[in-house]
Amino acid sequence: MSDIATPLQSEKPSVASSSAGKLGSNHFFARLMRSPQGKLGMLIIGLVMVMVLFGPYLAPHSPDDMAPLSRYKGPSAANWLGTDQYGRDLLSRILYGARATVVLAFMATAIGSLIGAFIGTLCAFLGGRFDEIVMRTIDAVMAIPSLLFALLIVNLMGKGEINAVLAIAIAFVPSMTRITRSVALAIRKQDFVSAAIARGESSLYVVLREMLPNVVAPVVVEMTIRVAFAVMLFATLSFLGLGAQPPASEWGLMAAEARKFMHLSPWMILWPSAAVAMVAIGFNLLGDGLRDALNPKT
Amino acid sequence: MDHVLEVKDYSLDYATPNGRFHALANLNLTIDRGEVLGLVGESGSGKTSLAWSIMRYLAGNAIETSGSIKLVGEDLLKVTLKQIDSIRGRRISMVFQDPSTSLNPTLSLGEQLTEVLVRHRNLTRKQAAMEGIAMLDRVGLKDPTGMMRRYPHEASGGEKQRVVIATAFACRPECIIFDEPTTALDVITGRQILDLFAELQAETHVASLYISHDLALVSQVADRVAVIHKGVIVEQGDVEQVFTHPADPYTKRLIGAVPRPDHRLVGAPPKTGGQALVEAKALSVTYGGVSAFARLLGKRKASVVGNRAISIAVKPGEILGVVGESGSGKSTLAKALTGLNPFEGQLFFAGNQIDGAKDMGKLYRRDVQMIFQHPDASLNPRQRVRDILSRPLKLYTDTPSGQYTQIIGDLLEQVRLPREYMNRFPHQLSGGEKQRVAIARAFASRPKLVICDEITSALDVSVQASVVELLIELQKQFGTAYLFITHDLNLVRQIAHRIAVMYRGDLVDLLETAEVDSPSRHAYTRSLLDAVPTPVGDYASLAPELEVAP
Repeated sequence: MSDIATPLQSEKPSVASSSAGKLGSNHFFARLMRSPQGKLGMLIIGLVMVMVLFGPYLAPHSPDDMAPLSRYKGPSAANWLGTDQYGRDLLSRILYGARATVVLAFMATAIGSLIGAFIGTLCAFLGGRFDEIVMRTIDAVMAIPSLLFALLIVNLMGKGEINAVLAIAIAFVPSMTRITRSVALAIRKQDFVSAAIARGESSLYVVLREMLPNVVAPVVVEMTIRVAFAVMLFATLSFLGLGAQPPASEWGLMAAEARKFMHLSPWMILWPSAAVAMVAIGFNLLGDGLRDALNPKT
Repeated sequence: MDHVLEVKDYSLDYATPNGRFHALANLNLTIDRGEVLGLVGESGSGKTSLAWSIMRYLAGNAIETSGSIKLVGEDLLKVTLKQIDSIRGRRISMVFQDPSTSLNPTLSLGEQLTEVLVRHRNLTRKQAAMEGIAMLDRVGLKDPTGMMRRYPHEASGGEKQRVVIATAFACRPECIIFDEPTTALDVITGRQILDLFAELQAETHVASLYISHDLALVSQVADRVAVIHKGVIVEQGDVEQVFTHPADPYTKRLIGAVPRPDHRLVGAPPKTGGQALVEAKALSVTYGGVSAFARLLGKRKASVVGNRAISIAVKPGEILGVVGESGSGKSTLAKALTGLNPFEGQLFFAGNQIDGAKDMGKLYRRDVQMIFQHPDASLNPRQRVRDILSRPLKLYTDTPSGQYTQIIGDLLEQVRLPREYMNRFPHQLSGGEKQRVAIARAFASRPKLVICDEITSALDVSVQASVVELLIELQKQFGTAYLFITHDLNLVRQIAHRIAVMYRGDLVDLLETAEVDSPSRHAYTRSLLDAVPTPVGDYASLAPELEVAP
């Protein structure tokens, strides 16, 4: 025993390992805020979150209050962003619409990402024939543009908000599967997966507990960027009349309705479009920032 | 006369988010013409930082706080970027660790060699090609003309490193930095590269800085040696002097930790006869099936042999060393025995036949455990030590989960780690500590056989020694048999009862450790043994001193 003690001393926890305790969420957040994209992204998304959470309380008017006397108005003291064809307050409609637009887009992305991540990890783990069949199917589906694919699904299932969410989620599955699979293939080669297999762990345990937690980082990055796409896709579906239905104040729908009155008041189409653009840019920037923060080496 | 390279009072810091990190502190080195200075240190000691400071290629966050680096009297810290371009490659060149990453895979070997000549010696393409062929011939490559046209993937590791060396010597530089030039190569190839180095060194009288973590190797190639520890040179002097009478305690510990064949760590082998614990009969592994899709298109199967009809038996309580170069099928064998690779042939465990990975039941998996090479990779980074160690308990024992904390604590203490470590994540542990956790995981089920796949090769020398001693301690305590896979012959001679030698998928030799020096051994075993550098120095005088230390 005594002869073991000597070499052990050379193995005292290094400086790095003792300070590693701080490497928690705080550290990660600090890194995110250090990159300009991350900071700006967080700012915009913070603003959007305020709109989502407190929009209805902040709105000066009800989104459905009509005012026949003040239609097609530009920005003024009474209606900060102007009014639409029924004299409804645009600011209030945008604030109310945030919840519908952003929350639904986020839900669609989350569902699509989770399904995609699971299939991708499973493919990487099982390999062989299963992987081959699933991935070739995914490739075939990927050949269809996601908007067309979403249109197809909505047409099959009928129009409506929930169906639009499902359509976007399903349209996102193939690309998420591909991304996750490529990351998971690298994880599959790691020794801790071999160790789990050699230990006799069940396949489900290996996929869910050993592999999935390790593919989360790239999936989260991709997800934030995808939310932006989902917002746009959702707005597009509503714009085409296949998503949210009037009189909902969903942004895409607002823009679609405003199209007819563009020559009467350009503000009507400007504000909802700007809101969609802001969310898209915000999530894209946040995604970039997250990517930098999660992979400090690249 | 000026020294060729003179590093004086040199300090280097890195600016990190957590403040300044002192990489090098008040370094003093000199190298004269025709001299080889060995720089020895463990990972993170600042060896490579020094190499890059001399090459003037520092990371963006590097801050040089004091000192000078002089090349024949000229201070490299003061020259402009443009001048540096004419110094790098021409007056100082560098040979890197891994030739497969230091050569550009999209350029032919000839282009990479002649580029230096054209740039620094103003030769025309044609002259450079002629000169390049002569250089390749000089470094002992057969068919130098053909080699000029080849791409890196068409050459072997040894050939590539010869090309890199030819490039480094091409402009007759005054100083060459060798950064672990043989670490990525096989033992025998590494030996040949070392011989080539010695020849060229004697011929050109270049001043060489030879960086390595391998003390035995440095003791052979260097004239003088400097030992670096945490950015500080703790000892410097003649090789003989430093290795036989080290003055600094760190040097003493480092030299004491080097595995040496004459210092056996294990007792007598278990009695012969009796039933083998694990026995493989004509076990074969082939790699490289074709995908289902390709098979559909009628593509034929072209497989690579991993193991060819291996017959080997491990007795209870025995340490069987398996040695061989990379690609010899050592790890393939380990994976076949743990069910990670499909295999053909017969496998018996305690007399029962195992037909394949599917046939390895809970009992087999409990009794045969594996420890992997890289502790970073074998511990899931997202799980705490507690979760990692609780899995074998859950899988193989009926222990109620309420007692896990107690048992996991005991397991950690058994591998000489504090109990509190169970709440840590792997990244909060050092490399040696991580490997201890992996050992604790393997021993959690009280296995009869533990397969150790190069478990010390990713660790520093001193850490390696303590991990090996821990393994031996556990072996004495539990009577576990080991299948100890390694490429380090000195280490295996220190701990194994028997040694199996593998070469390109075949088991070429199986011998008692005591007979290893007998001349009747297989030719390959002999050449392998000859290629291993045995360290100079009088360890016998050092060893007792180390063992009485508290």
